[in-house]
Amino acid sequence: MSDVDEDTNRLVLKLVFYGPALSGKTTNLTRLHDLLQPELKGEMMVLETKNDRTLFFDMLPLGITAPSGLLIKLKLFTVPGQVAHDSTRKAVLSRADGIIFVADSQSNQSINNAESFENLAENISRVGLDLDTLPLVVQFNKRDLPNVLTEAEIMGRWSKMPWPVLFASALEGQGVIETFRELLIKIYQTIDSKIGLEKSHGLNQNQFISGVLGEAGEHD
Amino acid sequence: MTEEIRETLPLMDFDRELSLDELLGGINRKKLFDALSNLLGMPFCICTTKGDPVIGAREVSMGFRLPLRAEMEPVGYLETPTDLADKTRSAVTLIELLLHSGARYLMASTLHLHAVKDDYDKLQKKYVALMESENRYKDLAENLEQRVSEQVKTIEATQLQLYQAEKMASVGQLAAGVAHEINNPIGFIQSNLVTAQSYVNDFSELTKQVEAGTKVDNMQGFLKEKDMAFVLEDFQVLLTESIDGARRVSAIVKDLKGFSNIDRGEEEVVNVNEIIQSVCNISLPQINKNAELTLVLVTLPLTRCRPGHLGQVFLNILLNAAKAIKEKGKISVESLLKDDRIVVRISDTGSGISEENMKRMFDPFFTTADVGDGTGLGLTVCRDIVKAHGGEIEVESTPGKGTSFSIVLPIIS
Repeated sequence: MSDVDEDTNRLVLKLVFYGPALSGKTTNLTRLHDLLQPELKGEMMVLETKNDRTLFFDMLPLGITAPSGLLIKLKLFTVPGQVAHDSTRKAVLSRADGIIFVADSQSNQSINNAESFENLAENISRVGLDLDTLPLVVQFNKRDLPNVLTEAEIMGRWSKMPWPVLFASALEGQGVIETFRELLIKIYQTIDSKIGLEKSHGLNQNQFISGVLGEAGEHD
Repeated sequence: MTEEIRETLPLMDFDRELSLDELLGGINRKKLFDALSNLLGMPFCICTTKGDPVIGAREVSMGFRLPLRAEMEPVGYLETPTDLADKTRSAVTLIELLLHSGARYLMASTLHLHAVKDDYDKLQKKYVALMESENRYKDLAENLEQRVSEQVKTIEATQLQLYQAEKMASVGQLAAGVAHEINNPIGFIQSNLVTAQSYVNDFSELTKQVEAGTKVDNMQGFLKEKDMAFVLEDFQVLLTESIDGARRVSAIVKDLKGFSNIDRGEEEVVNVNEIIQSVCNISLPQINKNAELTLVLVTLPLTRCRPGHLGQVFLNILLNAAKAIKEKGKISVESLLKDDRIVVRISDTGSGISEENMKRMFDPFFTTADVGDGTGLGLTVCRDIVKAHGGEIEVESTPGKGTSFSIVLPIIS
């Protein structure tokens, strides 16, 4: 977990989009870049190969300032989904404060989803994080495609898990903000209990969320 | 080597907050300074948020500054004496593009190092695991070899014992028959000698009378009384019988002698016919219960061989032949010369050998006898002995009609 840097009076939070290859992690990030209007928003850094596959990571920096003057930076990362890049995935995952697992809704992708989630669980423990306490949200993406599992089918499999499951069509911009908001709630609660965001910095959950989402949050 | 790399390259977090100095790390600062000087046409300074100059020197005259942002917030400032509007902002844009590019490179390269190190560590672990596993298998293989060779030694020792036992077994079989053969003449020789002793007593009585000057009439009476005419005649018969008996024993002992040195089996130059003769003589009592034995021997040249061993072979095959004859039958033993080789053919009119058993009859431990009756090594021993003599054994058999073994031996002078 990130700590407040007393020198620069800032808190950097790292959020990671994890999931199987081609499930739409970069698309999620691109939509957030387009839709979010926080106080501070940087250029999106994209490191991809010729064929649009993420090579190392993508990164989108966002920032808000708490009433106390604390700058809260959120760095949103994607990992490369291809199986071969496991070491890169592990390195990107280290020190994460929250995770959005982007699964592919297509019915023929169930095994890839399961394998990727298993890989996530494994890497979480390898980098010294705890799957039980780490803020994690599951998004089933590509709802706009035919041949997808129904929501009932997906919930039948995932509802027993402790993590919220959301549905999205990142390409069409649907469900992306909602997924992100769900993760922000969990992260706020974790950080608040740790450094007292509300007590010490005068930032409550709603202010935090609407600050990060900007106008996009109000319309929602 | 790996330790060195780890010491000289402490891996930083790829996602750490990067300083202005780091972000401009890969850039030729002299060239950047010259280019910006040309663009701005006035002195300038790029300094950190804390005011430390990174490119150019700070001057008191520089009263104007614009933030240089990396990601979102300023990492430094461009300070100039005045604001030249578009020119100053263009310079900021150019510097920020460089910073962004620098960040991309630094993050990607550091992340790459992490991934490479991780992959390398994984390989190292796999290598260690592989080495361990290889050593385990090596140990196992070495032990296995040792254990197998121990087992083989045990089996070989057991086989050798069985093999030796088999060599002696046929001799043991003979012992009973031979004992009988010897016992018989010894018995009557003994009884003859007892009788002869009493005859000698009569003669010594007669001698005493002659010495004492006994009258002729009295002596004649004594001769009649003792029936000395019969004694003399019978004495002669007793001695002749006993000499014959002793000759028989001597002959049997001579035949047996061939078998007494089976284990030493020393080489001698002999006539194979003599070996055949001996074997037939001593095995006759066991054979002629059911079988009629005929011998047809041609004149053979002398050959160098181990007579004890060959006798063993002939005896073994001869006894097998006798066993193959269930009721009445014939066994013939022939010697002949063929292509400068000695052939000893032992044929019987017994039960014969099936085609299936023919293939395996020389295999060690193959036997058709009941368990305990045969070791299954008899013919194996025969084959080994004949091979050692540079010869071979040929077998022809018709089930129900009989079997013929031909032992073919080279002539070695």
